[in-house]
Amino acid sequence: MRQLKHKPGLWTLLGLLLVACLPGFWWQPHQATTVRQDYRSEMAPTFLVPGSSATQNRFNDLVKQLNQSSKNKHSLLRVEVMENGHLKYSGQLRRGDRRPYIVVGFQNHHDGYTNILKQAKWFTIAFKALQATYKFNHFSGMGHSNGGLVLTLFMEHDLAKTGAHADRLMTIGTPFNLEVSDPNEDTQLFKDLTADRDRLPRQLIVYSIAGSKTFTGDGIVPFDSVNRGKYIFQGRVKGFTQMTITGADANHADLPENQQIAELIQQDLLS
Amino acid sequence: MLEMQVGRCGQWLISLDVKLHHNRQFNAIYRALRLALPLVLIGSIADFIDQAWLQTSGYYYQTLNVSHWLFQLKLMRQYLRLISAGTLGFSAIVMAFAVSFYLVAPVTRATADRLLAGMTAVMGLKFLNVSRTSVLSLHTIHWVSTNLGTQGILIGVLVGLLVGNGYRWALQREQIVRESLTQTVTITSIWLVLLATGGLLWTSTQRASLGSAFLALVHWPFHLPHFVLGLFGYSSLSSLLQWAGVLGPLTTIKGESIQTAQNLAAIMDHPGRAIPHPLTIHTVVSVYANMGGSGMLLALLLAWFLCRPDRAQRRLGSLCLVPTLGNYGVPLMVGLPVMLSPILVIPFILAPLASIGLSWLCIRFQWVPAVAYPLATGTPGPLIGYLGTGGSWAALWLALIDLALCTLIYWPFVKWTQLAQRQLMEEAVDHAATKA
Repeated sequence: MRQLKHKPGLWTLLGLLLVACLPGFWWQPHQATTVRQDYRSEMAPTFLVPGSSATQNRFNDLVKQLNQSSKNKHSLLRVEVMENGHLKYSGQLRRGDRRPYIVVGFQNHHDGYTNILKQAKWFTIAFKALQATYKFNHFSGMGHSNGGLVLTLFMEHDLAKTGAHADRLMTIGTPFNLEVSDPNEDTQLFKDLTADRDRLPRQLIVYSIAGSKTFTGDGIVPFDSVNRGKYIFQGRVKGFTQMTITGADANHADLPENQQIAELIQQDLLS
Repeated sequence: MLEMQVGRCGQWLISLDVKLHHNRQFNAIYRALRLALPLVLIGSIADFIDQAWLQTSGYYYQTLNVSHWLFQLKLMRQYLRLISAGTLGFSAIVMAFAVSFYLVAPVTRATADRLLAGMTAVMGLKFLNVSRTSVLSLHTIHWVSTNLGTQGILIGVLVGLLVGNGYRWALQREQIVRESLTQTVTITSIWLVLLATGGLLWTSTQRASLGSAFLALVHWPFHLPHFVLGLFGYSSLSSLLQWAGVLGPLTTIKGESIQTAQNLAAIMDHPGRAIPHPLTIHTVVSVYANMGGSGMLLALLLAWFLCRPDRAQRRLGSLCLVPTLGNYGVPLMVGLPVMLSPILVIPFILAPLASIGLSWLCIRFQWVPAVAYPLATGTPGPLIGYLGTGGSWAALWLALIDLALCTLIYWPFVKWTQLAQRQLMEEAVDHAATKA
């Protein structure tokens, strides 16, 4: 013991070691929360949401096309949300598939402001149920037409409550100002979306694709309505890119099967 | 008297250490290591501050919320990375130069010859670290700098030995008395031509750099070893490589990061359930056998201060204290030196094995939970298990027992190293007195 007293180097080392350990002991109770914040599950599904009047089978051909053009084939699960909030499943997720496609359709898939708000809430029900089953905590989403609105509304209102992180969002022919082509007229939906844009995840990367059948739109959705996306996303998310597709299959209904859009999905959403 | 103090084995090791210090080749290497120490020390401290304090994956960054109270993080990181790259990043070059210089120094008084021997070695090292595509495609030559850091020290030493001995032989053969420009140019030219030929041969026939080829050695026998003998083998081979001069972190085994991610996913998604891969290099070797750096260098430092270091030895230990606490073991490897020490090689290999054996047993029989949480860079050695298991006191106790056990293993060897150093110091003083 007397010998130990005469070892200043040893005491300095032990003292410094103890001091260095103190922050660790102090921080440990918060460790799980901190790790969970940065943790990303192995599984990160890609949610596909069809537009009005389309069912959960809307993207069957698109998924087949994407699987054919890629080395990594992904499984497809289809979920239909009934009006009473119950879920109907078809298809299945392959074990070990980390990037499966999950299509969420709605029994009430009609158009209109009130219906779109309801569909966003039904999407949240499906999302929470799937999250509880498959334990993912990050995902990407693609919405065609009103499907893009459903995903945007979900991200603004309910995503934070789920604790999940949205990586990428691709909206295809999404009418952020509904069918209104007048740049001076704002619909209630657009006002809602811009009012809550600060709730969008800061790390989200967004791609908005417009189809060009005529010089004013894709045959159904006016350009101006798609362009309104910039007032919602620009400056609020990590990245926002707008693209216009012309040529064959550029009308509103054909956009999901458009070859160029399939390539963009492969390149920007799934990579 | 010495035999009574240290026993026969210790005496034999001490005399071997002293003999090696008298050996021309080893002497040049040890002197070169001493020369490189200040650079390695500054670089390691800069690297430690950068990684542990200023990066999101650092221990102090996370535990002390550094981003909330420290400004200009980016600027500080840029500055520290520059320091680290400029010092640690060129340690292989320094070694090649110094080894060659010290080999030639005793046979010539001409400073130009000594310096040219060193510089030729540096060029030889560069010839082996050149971008393959830039040479073969006849484009502007690009030099590769990734293998010139601490991991390339062994290659630097080998090139230094080759060039230094060759230069020395040529100088002795010519028996140059005064500085002769013609002779110097001739010898240097011959060496440069030979080294460039060697570099071109390697580049045109091998796809990997010489450094990567050495590093690949540590991996080939062990593919995801989960059984205890596999972990022993991996640890011994990596310790041996570190001792020989391939310093710094070794690259991970293929598939290891996937297992680590699966372990984390298991505790995140199903808290309370057993993790799928409890016994891996990550959960055993990285957590319980790397305190202070590879070879349980924190135990070595504890033993260093526990024995009776003289003032110079104490000062050396104190200099290496901060980086060793952050698991940056390079300053101790170079400064003591552990590298190429015939005495310290034994505990440097044995101590981690003891720690691995005990930890493997405790995890295997579930006395201690396996690590699944991400490990922050710069976490003090004994705390890695505690934080990695999400606050298990059993893991902390195991780490402390491992540390104590390894300190005990190091203790006699450290004592013998200190005795050998004192003997060498006394010889140097006597030699100086005789000369005077």
